[in-house]
Amino acid sequence: MFKAVIGAEKLKDSIESISTLVDEARFKLAQNGISVRAVDPANVAMVSFDLAKDAFDSFEATEGEIGIDLAKLNGIMEMADRNDNIELELDETAHKLIVRMRGLSYTMSLLDPSSIRKEPKVPTLELPARIVIRGEDLKRAVKAAEKVSDYMSMGVTDNIFFMEAEGDTDNVRLEMTKDQLIDLSPAESKSLFSLDYLTDIGKIAGKASEVTIDLGKDYPMKMKLKIAEGHGEVSYMLAPRVESE
Amino acid sequence: MTSFEELAKVCTKIENTSSSLEITSVVAGFFKEVDDEELDIVTRFIMGRVFPVWSEKELGIGPNLLYSAIARASCLPIKRIKEFVRDTGDVGLAAEKALSGKVQSNFFTEEELTISEVYLRFRRIAQLTGKGSQDTKVKVLQSLFGSAKPVEIVYLARLSIEELRIGVGEGIVRDAIAEAFNVSSGLVERGIMITNDFGLVASTGKKEGEKGLNELGIILGRPLKMMLSQVTPGIKEAIGEMRSVAVEWKFDGARVQIHKNGKEVTIYSRRLENVTSSLPDIVKSVKANVFAENAILDGEAIALGKDKKPMAFQEILRRFRRKYEVSATAIEIPLFLNLFDILYLNNESLIDHPLSWRRKKLEEVCDKGIIAVQVVTDDISIVENIYKEALMAGHEGVMLKNPGSSYIPGKRGKNWLKLKPIMETLDLIVIGGEWGEGRRANLIGSYLLACRDPDTDTFLPIGRVATGITDEQLTELTKTFKELVISEEGIHVELEPRIVFEVAFEEIQKSPNYESGYALRFPRLVHVRTDKSPGDADTIERVESLYIGQKGRRNSNGNL
Repeated sequence: MFKAVIGAEKLKDSIESISTLVDEARFKLAQNGISVRAVDPANVAMVSFDLAKDAFDSFEATEGEIGIDLAKLNGIMEMADRNDNIELELDETAHKLIVRMRGLSYTMSLLDPSSIRKEPKVPTLELPARIVIRGEDLKRAVKAAEKVSDYMSMGVTDNIFFMEAEGDTDNVRLEMTKDQLIDLSPAESKSLFSLDYLTDIGKIAGKASEVTIDLGKDYPMKMKLKIAEGHGEVSYMLAPRVESE
Repeated sequence: MTSFEELAKVCTKIENTSSSLEITSVVAGFFKEVDDEELDIVTRFIMGRVFPVWSEKELGIGPNLLYSAIARASCLPIKRIKEFVRDTGDVGLAAEKALSGKVQSNFFTEEELTISEVYLRFRRIAQLTGKGSQDTKVKVLQSLFGSAKPVEIVYLARLSIEELRIGVGEGIVRDAIAEAFNVSSGLVERGIMITNDFGLVASTGKKEGEKGLNELGIILGRPLKMMLSQVTPGIKEAIGEMRSVAVEWKFDGARVQIHKNGKEVTIYSRRLENVTSSLPDIVKSVKANVFAENAILDGEAIALGKDKKPMAFQEILRRFRRKYEVSATAIEIPLFLNLFDILYLNNESLIDHPLSWRRKKLEEVCDKGIIAVQVVTDDISIVENIYKEALMAGHEGVMLKNPGSSYIPGKRGKNWLKLKPIMETLDLIVIGGEWGEGRRANLIGSYLLACRDPDTDTFLPIGRVATGITDEQLTELTKTFKELVISEEGIHVELEPRIVFEVAFEEIQKSPNYESGYALRFPRLVHVRTDKSPGDADTIERVESLYIGQKGRRNSNGNL
C-alpha cells in the first residue's frame, strides 16, 4: 500500500537524481520513507537514494517494492508546475501508479521489479580525504574540465583541494584552500574520473548548497548531498580510471 | 557454473589446433564438462552465436557500438580503437590491446564472469529498445569488458559481433555433440535440422541419448531448415537417375516457409527470419486458401508485374526487409504464392513420407490457386517443354524432384535437382579492395570490380567479388595488389586498374549502389586474366546487352 502527497519540485529533484544514472529502478517502500539503490549499466557508478517520510505532506506506506520507468515519470513531471502538489497512489492489483496533479490524473504502468537489475551491494569505502564544497563551485570546475578533456582528476595535496583536466593542448586546474571550501579534512589523495559521469552528477550536485566529497588514491569517490529541503539524501559512488593489472 | 575464462581457454586451444578431428574432441570435452544450463549457451557461443537460429532475438551489436564500448572501458578515443583494429586485423586483439593500459575500473571488477552471466548481459542488450537504448547497450557491453580478464576480452569482443573466428561451425558442433554424449551424428544432424536448436539437441543427447534424439520432432511455430537442391547437368541425366521425375517450375521469387496454427500465420524466409509483418497479402492468401487447422508449408512467393512476368528477385527482398509502409508496398508489388510441399499437417510430421504422398496431402488442404503445378513424367520431351515454358514465363528454370524422396531439412541432395541456364562470364577490372579480418588480416580479401566506359575512358564500379578465391591465390593476389595501392582508408584500399578478373555470376541486376547502374548477383572469380589488360575488359555496353539478354531469354522463346 502506498499513498502520498509531495511538492512537485521535491519529487522532480528526487527522480532526476536517480535517472541521471539509470533508466529504470526498483523503489523500496517502507513506513518511514522511500529508498533506491542502483548501479549504472556500465557498473561504473552507483546511486544510493533515501527520501524520508518528512519530505512528504502526507505519507502512508507498507513495506513493498515497485519498478519505475524513470524516463516516463520524468516526462509526467514536465506537466507539473513547481508549486503543484503531486498525489501518488499505488494500485497494487493493476500494477499501476496513479499520479495526480491539479485535476490531471496519469495512470502509469509499473515495471516488474524482477525485470530490473537487483540492488547492488554498496561497498564500504575507506576514503581518507573529505572535502565539503558548494555545489555551484563543483559544477563550475566540471564545466571547465569538459572543455579540454573527457577525464578529470580530483585530489588533495598540501592542504589544497584540486580538480584538474589535461587535454591534448590545453589544461584546466582549479585549486581551493580550506577557507574557500565549506570544510576540508586533508589527506594526500588523487583519482581520475570520467567526465561523462561527473557532468551528469554535477548537474544534480550543482543545485545543492553543500556537497561532501570523499577521496582516496586511485580509488572510487563518494559524493553526498541533501535534496528535498534536507529531507532526502543522495550518495553517488564513482569508480576511477586505473592502470589495468 | 562455468567461468567464461574456461570457454576463452578452450577457444585459445582451438585456435592453436589445426586438425578438425582434434578440435571436435576439444569441443566435445568441453560439452561434457559444463552444466546442463550452460550446455545450451555453449553450443552457440562456440560457433560465435548468442541466440538460437529460430529465435527472433537479435543482439544488434555492430562494430561501431563495440568500438564505443571498448573506448569507454579503456578510456581511449574511438579513433585509437579503430587503429588497433586495423593494426591487428581483429576486434578481439584490438580490444585486448586497448584494455592493457589505463582502464575505467568498475564496482564488480573482482567478480568472476560466468558463461551464464555473459549470456544474460547479451540478452539484456538484445532487449533494449527505444530512445537512449544505444547508449545503454554500449554501457552494458562496457560492463562486460570491465569485468573481463585479458584472455576473456579477446573472445568477448568477437562474440559480441558474433564473429568468433576460431573455425568451429555447425559440422564440428554436430560431431562434438555426438562424441560427447556417445550418440550417432546422423541423429544429431536430424535433430538440428528439425529443431534448429543446437542446445536442445545437445541436452537431449546428454540426458536421453539416441532414443530422445529420435523423438525430437517438428515444432509448429519454429522454422526448420529448408530442403535445398543441386544443379543438374541435364534432363537426361536427371531422368536417368530417378527414372520418373516430378517437374515444377523453378520460380524466380523468394522461398517461404509458412506455419499456420489456427488463425495464426507465420512466414519465415530462407534464412529462417520471421518476415510475416512484411507480407500481409501472403498471410491473407494463406488464411483464405489453406483449409488445414495447422500446417507447415513450403513454397515460393513471387511478385508479378503488369505484364504477368516475375519482377526481379531483389524487389521481393526489398519487401522482406521493409518494416514500414507495408500496405503501400503491398499495392505496389502484389505477391503470389506457389506452394510445392507440406511438412506438417494437423499435429503430425509428414517429412518422412515420400514426396508423392505429401503432394496429395498438399492438394487436399490447399486451394489449387496457391499450389505450384507439378507434372510427374519420365519423358524427356515433356520436361523440355515445361522448361521452355518456365523460361518463357520469365522464371529461372525447372526443379526435378524424386517423387519417392522424403523431405530432408537443410539437405542439398540428389533428390531435388535444379535445371537452369548458365550465364556467361564478364572480364572486369579490379579497382579497389578491402583488407580481411582474422585469419585473413594481412590479405586483401574482397575486390571491387569495374567495367569499362570507352566513351569517357573511365571505369564504372559494378560490384565486389570475394568468393571463388583460394588461400594461395589470395596471398599471391595480395602481393600483386600491394604494389598497386593508390590510397588506403581504414580497411578500404584504392587500387590502380591493372588486373582483370574473369567473373561468373547468376544474374545482372539494376542497382543504384554502383556507378555502372548494375550489380552482379552471386559473383565468383573464375580466372585471373593475366593475358588481358584493362583495355580488353568488358564494356558497359556488353553489361547492358547481357542484362537485356537475360530478360529477353525469359521473355521470348526460352532457347538458350
